[in-house]
Amino acid sequence: MIQARELRVRAGTRTLLEGVTFDVREREFVAVLGPNGAGKTTLLRAIAGTGHFEGGTLRVGGRPVESLGANERARTIAYMASDDAFAENMCVRDVVAMGRYSFHRWWQWHEDPRDREAVDAALRAVGMELFADRAFPTLSTGERQRIWLALGLAQEAPLLLLDEPTSHLDIRVGHEILELLRHRVAAGKTVVCALHDLNEAAAYADRIMLLGCGRMLAFDPPERLLRSPLLEDAYGIPMEAVAAPSGILRVFPRVTNRRSRCSS
Amino acid sequence: MAARLAALALVALLAMLAGLLVGGVPLPLATVLAALAHPHALGDAGTIVWAIRLPRVCVAATVGASLAISGALLQGMLRNPIVDPYLTGVSAGAAAAIAICVVLGVTLALLPAIGFAAGIATALVVAALARRGTGIDVNRLILAGISLSALFSAVIAIVLTRAQASGYASAILSWLAGSMAGRGWHELAFALPYALGGLLLALLAVPALNALRLGDTRAAAIGVDVDRAQWTILAAASLLTASAVSLSGMVGFVGLIVPHIARRVVGSDARRLIAASVLLGTALTVLADAAARTLFAPAELPVGVLLAFIGVPAFLYLYLRGGRQFA
Repeated sequence: MIQARELRVRAGTRTLLEGVTFDVREREFVAVLGPNGAGKTTLLRAIAGTGHFEGGTLRVGGRPVESLGANERARTIAYMASDDAFAENMCVRDVVAMGRYSFHRWWQWHEDPRDREAVDAALRAVGMELFADRAFPTLSTGERQRIWLALGLAQEAPLLLLDEPTSHLDIRVGHEILELLRHRVAAGKTVVCALHDLNEAAAYADRIMLLGCGRMLAFDPPERLLRSPLLEDAYGIPMEAVAAPSGILRVFPRVTNRRSRCSS
Repeated sequence: MAARLAALALVALLAMLAGLLVGGVPLPLATVLAALAHPHALGDAGTIVWAIRLPRVCVAATVGASLAISGALLQGMLRNPIVDPYLTGVSAGAAAAIAICVVLGVTLALLPAIGFAAGIATALVVAALARRGTGIDVNRLILAGISLSALFSAVIAIVLTRAQASGYASAILSWLAGSMAGRGWHELAFALPYALGGLLLALLAVPALNALRLGDTRAAAIGVDVDRAQWTILAAASLLTASAVSLSGMVGFVGLIVPHIARRVVGSDARRLIAASVLLGTALTVLADAAARTLFAPAELPVGVLLAFIGVPAFLYLYLRGGRQFA
């Protein structure tokens, strides 16, 4: 689905990404991890075609991403950015219906039955069909995240790119979002998703890409990556991995200066 | 929503009818309607309606509708509710050029064309200053618009101090205050094609304008060519504003308030918002112009002054009372 070769992104004199080479297969769930500033958003924006890159090649669905026109891009790649603003005065359904923009020619101002079907399906897929007529600003953070996901699904693009969809969500809602993404992968989509929570990535991703200081440090299945010393290098703190009773690997920072329990 | 738009259309129509009814010579409704129905009939009523009042009403409608669309476009693109059409720099540039031309003794008939050209030229400078890469930086656009407007205000002030001695000041002031006195078919024939061009561009930008409600990043992600949409919207707003300014001088507040009221009535969907802005802008400006003609007849109040007196309290009332829903 994605082929990146020696990708390089600069901003002025600063290098944001350097020498990033990887392949993402179809129907794969990839989590992108790395500390703040490692280049996660930069990478997603480059793949989404809304960011720029100075060197290397980047193909999505076999086509160089920069050769895709705006409409074609939106029908190939659904990019859900992390910014959450705007959409005042819009109801939920109108927000999701915006995902159909690229299917309309300039004279088509109204949705056709095909659009309606896609919007309904997208709302159903994220379990928000009962919220269709709600005003968007009245939604909670978790509900909004679902609606942004529905907006992406309404684009009917094979590739979903998400920038930290679980930030600011409580544990349950965060896992519900990731579960929804897992379902989409089962339904044939490819998901590339920037995450902060190592354990969320371990539980849901097929492979984890670890970025550090603009370089790709590793791109491995969770069970390999979470035991790798590269993880400690990337985040700069000691880590310990344990297998949960369910068999899923869990990783935590190793706490050295522990609070004493009897110090009342 | 369709019912609300129909109601607004009725309001606009009634306002235009009211504009035809009032004036120096009292004409009953039946006479006005008869004159409208028979454009080639002779008689005083026919002349008053066809040569004086109807062109005046059409000028006011064009000015109001143009400024209202322009305001709706810019507020939508910049997602900033306090933006008005004069942000494009059009009016300041036009006013400065007109002031200079008045002092130089250029014939009055040329002023609308000069104002239009100077307005578009200023809009191009503002656009050039706001350009970043292939797109528009909205903060730069606001800063450039405000700075150039301030600069041209200074130019106008200098010209005015010089003009006081020569007696041209009143001509300049009437332009600055906004007035449609003496405007007719001739001026309309000049400005209307540009206004229609602006309207066409605005209609082209409607789907993108809707998508921009999600913010630039998300709009780009769903397939909007954000750069192209921004340039289209800015070009439409500049053309519409320049047409209005060439017709009436600086008529304030229509471009600021009307989109707000329109948003209250039909919501933020650009398809309905543009239509509602046209209707409300028409109604408000035609009524204000009718009042400006008759309140102190035979003297005329500048319509811009009247709109400010009605517009500012109305705006503050809406804003302060509306509070939260007002976005």
